[in-house]
Amino acid sequence: MLEIRNLHARIADGREILNGVELVVGAGEVHAIMGPNGSGKSTLAGVLSGRPGYEVTEGSVLYQGQDLLALSPDARARAGVFLAFQYPVEIPGVNNMYFLRAALNSLRRARGANELDAGQFLKAVRAKLKLLEIGDDLLQRAVNAGFSGGEKKRNEIFQMAMLEPKLAILDETDSGLDIDALKLVAGGINKLRAPDRAMVLITHYQRLLDYVVPDRVHVLSGGRIVKSGDKTLAAELERHGYAAYEAA
Amino acid sequence: MIVKAETAPYVEAFAQRDGTDEPHWLAARRAAALANFGDKGFPTRRQEAWRFTDLRPLQRAAFPPVSGDGSAPFALDAYRCPGATHRLVLVDGKVAPALSDLGALPEGAFLASTAETLAEAPDLVAAALEESDAQGNQPFASLNAAFFTDGFVLALEPETVLERPIEILHLTSAGAPRSHHVRNLVRLGTGSRAVLLETYAGAGAHWTNSVTALHLREGAALHHARLQDESAEALHFAVNRAHVGRQARYRSFVLTLGGRLSRQDMLVRLDGEGAELALDGAYLLRGEQEATNATFVDHAAPGCTTRELFKGVVADRAHGVFLGSISVRPEAQKTDAHQLNKNLLLSRRATVDTKPELEILADDVKCSHGATVGDLDEAALFYLRTRGIAEGEARRMLIEAFAADALERVEPAALRAYLAHHLQAWLGRGEEGGR
Ligand SMILES: Nc1ncnc2c1ncn2[C@@H]1O[C@H](COP(=O)(O)OP(=O)(O)OP(=O)(O)O)[C@@H](O)[C@H]1O
Ligand SMILES: [Mg+2]
Repeated sequence: MLEIRNLHARIADGREILNGVELVVGAGEVHAIMGPNGSGKSTLAGVLSGRPGYEVTEGSVLYQGQDLLALSPDARARAGVFLAFQYPVEIPGVNNMYFLRAALNSLRRARGANELDAGQFLKAVRAKLKLLEIGDDLLQRAVNAGFSGGEKKRNEIFQMAMLEPKLAILDETDSGLDIDALKLVAGGINKLRAPDRAMVLITHYQRLLDYVVPDRVHVLSGGRIVKSGDKTLAAELERHGYAAYEAA
Repeated sequence: MIVKAETAPYVEAFAQRDGTDEPHWLAARRAAALANFGDKGFPTRRQEAWRFTDLRPLQRAAFPPVSGDGSAPFALDAYRCPGATHRLVLVDGKVAPALSDLGALPEGAFLASTAETLAEAPDLVAAALEESDAQGNQPFASLNAAFFTDGFVLALEPETVLERPIEILHLTSAGAPRSHHVRNLVRLGTGSRAVLLETYAGAGAHWTNSVTALHLREGAALHHARLQDESAEALHFAVNRAHVGRQARYRSFVLTLGGRLSRQDMLVRLDGEGAELALDGAYLLRGEQEATNATFVDHAAPGCTTRELFKGVVADRAHGVFLGSISVRPEAQKTDAHQLNKNLLLSRRATVDTKPELEILADDVKCSHGATVGDLDEAALFYLRTRGIAEGEARRMLIEAFAADALERVEPAALRAYLAHHLQAWLGRGEEGGR
């Protein structure tokens, strides 16, 4: 599904943030990426989703066999890649429903499916809203505008549930959630687990992984994956921290 | 009299015009206005209020004041306001009875072309003229006074309420450059209410020069929306002078989409206690367009409020200008006035000049003003794109959200929807490409 080889990326000031990332995620798998603050986790998510401001200097990313880095951000989304933002963006004046319908319909067009009219869309929305216990009022508001931290995160997962991506990258979607919200979000993620779908969870906490059990856990430090293991690695990190990997 | 070169064609045209069947008072006022125009000449950039306006498109050609006969055919559909209205259509500066449909007006309501009004109720036409035509510093308004032949007049007796909107369409046909001088009057008696939608649209490289006098007596209320969607070669100047009485409410919105060179001068005097003004607008410009919105609000009485919001979207090499002046006289205590101009630049070559100004001579007031000029929010654009929305559509969504914000106070909903529809149509036409 996703094959990252020797990925190097730098920011405008020339600083290299990714420094040879190697990561292979197979269909149906859930991988967790953990690592200290500033180690490059969001940068990796940004590079995978096509965020401007990063220059890939070396390496490659294959997604379903195609060169992901050659696609525009919106083409990546239409190809099935989804990024849940660590800091979802507020967009005043753009209605959440209107936005989501435009998004869903552009994905459907790309797949050759018919566009949903307002009624059909509403029906689809209702089902997923229940899942995440999101109130109707949130949908009537502008995208993320004035949403609480937790509401923003839930809105990201709600979008993911609506857009049904093939590869979902979730950047600290669990941060800032209370325990009930965390369960809801984890439930939403688990519902989407499927043999033809892969997920990359960026997180700092074991507690998400108690609900969404990963197939693999990786430690990203200094812009590289310095250790990989099974789910027990997360528990070990929780106990001992990253000290052992700082030197990397 | 020394004739300034650029005024010469107009001064000559005035000498040749046939005003034989006009009343003396009007002929005299026209002559005085023309003299003022000849005397002042075109405004220059040395005048503060015209500093940012490039008048060359007006100077490059002569625009003889010729009106059509109102018979040019026109498809109104694109500019019809949905729902029932009282409709008056002018084509090339002349009322077109075949396209108009005034419907049944309630008792106490007068709606007619300026030409008809001159025959039936000349006092109303006199009320549309002002002292400043003959001596003020609005030379194009003076020129208008000299040449106007038509326009519209809306006059409501006290307590008259018009349920349906008044819909005025000023259309122009293609053809040789010419100028259309329309003179309009809106007079609302005590406690009367109306909704007025004006659209200026059409083809050709003509010059529309419109002047409207608005008088709102005590407790009157007017919702006034205007769409300027003239051709990309057209010139459009409009002067609106409003006098808002005690406890009266005036809401004005102007959406500027068309015209090579356009300018809206809005002069509002709040001269009765507790008058309320909402003075809003949006301008969306592309290509080589230049548009100025100049507002002058005079708080002449205590306890009046002003809410002013103009939003500009400027693409390509276009140029947007906002001049906003609010003055509060010493006697206008408890004034509550807020003015804001926000601009979005869509290209590196697009420019905006914005000059909000407050002059406060009273001490117990709440006033603020501000202006911003910014680019499209890249983070928001990226966010939309990560959801599969193509760049062009994502840009349109953000631009529309920015501009539509200014429409919020437009009422009733039918007018807001009409303006929103034309705003979307503008967005659908796309930018030139290349930032
Ligand atoms: N666009 C940018 N401009 C400047 N610096 C950047 C940019 N993007 C990333 N960085 C820097 O790169 C480094 C890695 O940042 P990144 O956001 O990827 O870390 P992270 O692993 O996600 O951290 P956290 O756990 O705190 O979210 C940091 O030092 C950050 O300041
Ligand atoms: Mg991060």
